[in-house]
Amino acid sequence: MESIFEFLFKYRPLLFERGDFAFSAPRGVLPVALALMIGSVVIGWTYLRARGRSRPVDRAVLLGTRVLIFAVLLFCLFRPVLLVQALVPQHSYLAVLIDDSRSMHIADDGAEPRTAFIDQQLGMQGELTRSLEDRFRLRYYRFSDVARRLPELNDLAYAGRSTRIGDAIDFVRDDLSGSPLSGVVVVSDGGDNSPDGMAPSLLPMKAAGVPVYAVGLGRERLERDVQLTRVETPRTVLQGSAIAVDAIVSANGYGGQQAVIDVEDDGRIVSRDTITLPEDGKPATVRVKVAANEPGPRRFRFRIAPREGELVAENNVQDAVIVVERRREKILYFEGEPRFELKFIRRAVEADSNLQVVALQRTADSKFLRLDVDNADELAGGFPKTREELFSYRAVILGSVEASFFSHEQLQMLAEFVSRRGGGLLALGGRNAFSQGGYAGTPLAEALPVVLDERDRALHFVELKVRPTRAGSTHPAMQLAESEQASVARWETLPPLTSINRITAVKPGATTLLTGAGETGEQVVLAYQRYGRGAAFAMPIQDSWLWQMHADVPLEDMTHERLWRQLLRWLVQDVPNPVVASAAPDQVSPAESFTITAEVDDSSFVRVNDASVIATVTAPDGTVSEVPLEWVLARDGEYRGRYTPREPGLHDIRIAARKGDVSLGEDRIWVNSTESNAEYFDAHLHSDLLKRIADETGGRYYTPATVKSLAEDVRYTGRGDTVTERKDLWDMPIVFLLLVSLIAFEWVYRRARGLA
Amino acid sequence: MSNGRRFQNGLHTVRGGKRGPSLSGAVLLRRIGFSGVALATTLPIPVLALSVSLLREAPPARGTAGIAVNAECDRATGAGCEFHEFTFTRAIYSSPSRERGGFRGGFGSWATDYPKADLQFAMVMQRLAQHLDIAQTENAVRLDDPQLRRFPWLYAVEVGRMALTEAEVTGLRSYLAAGGFLFVDDFWGGRQWDQFEQNIRRVLPNLPIVDLPLSHPLFTSYYNITEILQVPNVGNARWGETTECYGCDPAVRAIFDEHGRLLVLISFNSDLGDAWEWAEQPFYPVKYSTYAFQLAVNAIVYAMSH
Repeated sequence: MESIFEFLFKYRPLLFERGDFAFSAPRGVLPVALALMIGSVVIGWTYLRARGRSRPVDRAVLLGTRVLIFAVLLFCLFRPVLLVQALVPQHSYLAVLIDDSRSMHIADDGAEPRTAFIDQQLGMQGELTRSLEDRFRLRYYRFSDVARRLPELNDLAYAGRSTRIGDAIDFVRDDLSGSPLSGVVVVSDGGDNSPDGMAPSLLPMKAAGVPVYAVGLGRERLERDVQLTRVETPRTVLQGSAIAVDAIVSANGYGGQQAVIDVEDDGRIVSRDTITLPEDGKPATVRVKVAANEPGPRRFRFRIAPREGELVAENNVQDAVIVVERRREKILYFEGEPRFELKFIRRAVEADSNLQVVALQRTADSKFLRLDVDNADELAGGFPKTREELFSYRAVILGSVEASFFSHEQLQMLAEFVSRRGGGLLALGGRNAFSQGGYAGTPLAEALPVVLDERDRALHFVELKVRPTRAGSTHPAMQLAESEQASVARWETLPPLTSINRITAVKPGATTLLTGAGETGEQVVLAYQRYGRGAAFAMPIQDSWLWQMHADVPLEDMTHERLWRQLLRWLVQDVPNPVVASAAPDQVSPAESFTITAEVDDSSFVRVNDASVIATVTAPDGTVSEVPLEWVLARDGEYRGRYTPREPGLHDIRIAARKGDVSLGEDRIWVNSTESNAEYFDAHLHSDLLKRIADETGGRYYTPATVKSLAEDVRYTGRGDTVTERKDLWDMPIVFLLLVSLIAFEWVYRRARGLA
Repeated sequence: MSNGRRFQNGLHTVRGGKRGPSLSGAVLLRRIGFSGVALATTLPIPVLALSVSLLREAPPARGTAGIAVNAECDRATGAGCEFHEFTFTRAIYSSPSRERGGFRGGFGSWATDYPKADLQFAMVMQRLAQHLDIAQTENAVRLDDPQLRRFPWLYAVEVGRMALTEAEVTGLRSYLAAGGFLFVDDFWGGRQWDQFEQNIRRVLPNLPIVDLPLSHPLFTSYYNITEILQVPNVGNARWGETTECYGCDPAVRAIFDEHGRLLVLISFNSDLGDAWEWAEQPFYPVKYSTYAFQLAVNAIVYAMSH
């Protein structure tokens, strides 16, 4: 389009945008113009006189044409010009920023890498260099994660591991402050990794009136590439858990094909899944199962094998650190009456060394049976009466015990166990549970994910066929077999259970995982919701033990054990300790600092603001440093500090909190410092970012095809000392074309009308 | 007399079922009423003075364990049915045919004390373990019946006269392996022990029978039981005797599985069933009935939590 315009109008549209239109007629033109005008009047009068065979319309058309011709001639005579401000050559600087990061190695177009453009155009003999050098004093810079001056083009190594365009522009602005800067040229693929965005760097440029011209290299879409964009992993898991990891995969050019995703645990392949690659451009989430058997901080690497012809292989890998803990999680199970459910739940998780189910069973008023307690004093007074005692457990299971057994304070404590302590609460069904037990309207009912009807105290005995919902069939805790299909099929074969608490409604925000179908309709069998820091679960059935004892269930079947093990592990998942530490980000490049945050509570899980919190960091080489964490003031109980790793590898960070000489607790986290491959992710050309940079600062955007006009554009749009240039418009080809077409039209019309 | 056999887990019928086809059509009420004697639940347990009305130990339908469901009970919706967590369940097992004739009008030794002991037991249990939800009815189930699995606690009496069929052996074995608990009682002397052992060996070939020490948690799961007593049958009790044979000392034994779980509790040279059945009789010594109920409660509480 532009070239057609340029052909017709002699100059590029940019000049017409930036220039002002004017006539610059020399003085001698005026009498000539006058003569022409008189002449045209005379001619017009003769036309009117000479009738001949012409009709009035003919005469009008011909007259009009002649007048137009004269007008065009007049237009040219008056010398129309375009006045543009052009930078005075060699008066100002032009900064050229060249992207020196690894993504420049990519060869999108098949043969040549992106660096080829730089070699060709910006080298000593490069066309672009020469056109720019004519008019400006060039200053070269290279940038990736940091920007530096570039004395020689050969110094470019293209080894940068991340790209920060904003920081580069800031650097240049600083470096050339005080010198007249006409503009900045950024040559890059636009893959910016800076966390903060571009605005802080662009505003000062805009304020100073210095435009940024962006040259985008590469293609908008990599033709053949598979990318493992992200993996979502839990931070910690219990040893022996099966972790379900969500991996986000996108692909171009391989849609529908099968690919293998490997999971490595410190170099050893522990799992291999086959996935189907999604359609071009549409990222898909795939679930990968990983077994966490070895305790300690495990570096997991998720990798899709590079395919033939794939342009970028480095973006097929994601690393994650998952801490596998060998801990015995204490769960308090309180039953208000002897029930078989207690026996079979205990049996189901007996073999799980990471779960300790402490059972408190009421056998008569004020008479309790205590099982699996740590010592003779534990629960000696029956159900815990203080928060400290209750909060020492990580989860609570309530069986069939009426609400009136608890004091109001205890019911409040149970709700706070979930909301404040962050523990997991599971309410089982039974004749004294839910509404039947009088829980409607109590603080505990607030926490539960199901709606309780205060008026409903009757026992609704019904047999239910239990099935997972859509959410339940994909949830890891509800998986009864290795694959989802096999799991759903297994659910179908389980014998029906019974319920006497008819619960049909869940609260908004709650998720139903299992439903039961009976003669009286569908009922909720398992639902949960997040409540404050923790989660509350409701399971209004009373005999899940039938899935172990029923005659239709084979003796060697482990469904009952598996289900309860998974459910209880989920119940204690992510339940916080009094001291909880985290690092942001949890994977850093060497020399990149990270923030250590600790949330500190006392034993009643009340936030503490005057604790002394120290983080002890052990580097991979064994050096130990102490980082004191300071209270952030804005949030209760939150303490922060920063640390910069000096070498790659796994850093072991122990956080200890004390108040006076009382220890409040400890936590331990790991941060992996490793070379980042961020450059290779989404490594296509980000033209929208580059265009935005150009637009916001008054610059323009170019591709290698259009970069020829860069030099000239800078001349007219840059900042600095300018001089007015006059561009003649009278010799525009379009003027000539217009004249010729008018004359031709008149001649054709005459011939057509037979007027000679 | 109806069987009152459990169908659902604990689901039972309101009493008043018909007799089995081989018996007359009289409907039998076996409701046991109380006279107004208060029961103290603290130790030692005083014997309840029960006024028994219209009590009859009627034998069950011969050789069957039919489902007696009252007309009002809608099994699918549960309407008109009662539900209870625990049902005292008695095992129906096979005995040698020559033995059967002498028992309970032809019904094998499994029906000893049935159903009075069962019903009386259920009523007393309700008073002793206040929070135990126990069905007030008898429930006899065959060992080879798949429905047995709905009742994880099982009682078998006079096991010295057992002669299990293959189906019963398989049924009992799978029942115990799945998580069931068996309490056997009322067999005396060497010959009956051998008979029992022979049968139980077929069920659990590789697990030894061991003495249960008083230090075992079962003896403290509800009451603190500090000595093993010999509980006499009703006849001997009347005469002040306890033993049915010379040199027969009472013993409580057990069979554990390879994980240490208690599968079978054995009360040998003792007749707990009679103590439950005849507790209300003035001549039946309080200390034996007390002990019998105590051991039973402990067995129930233990088996429902381990």
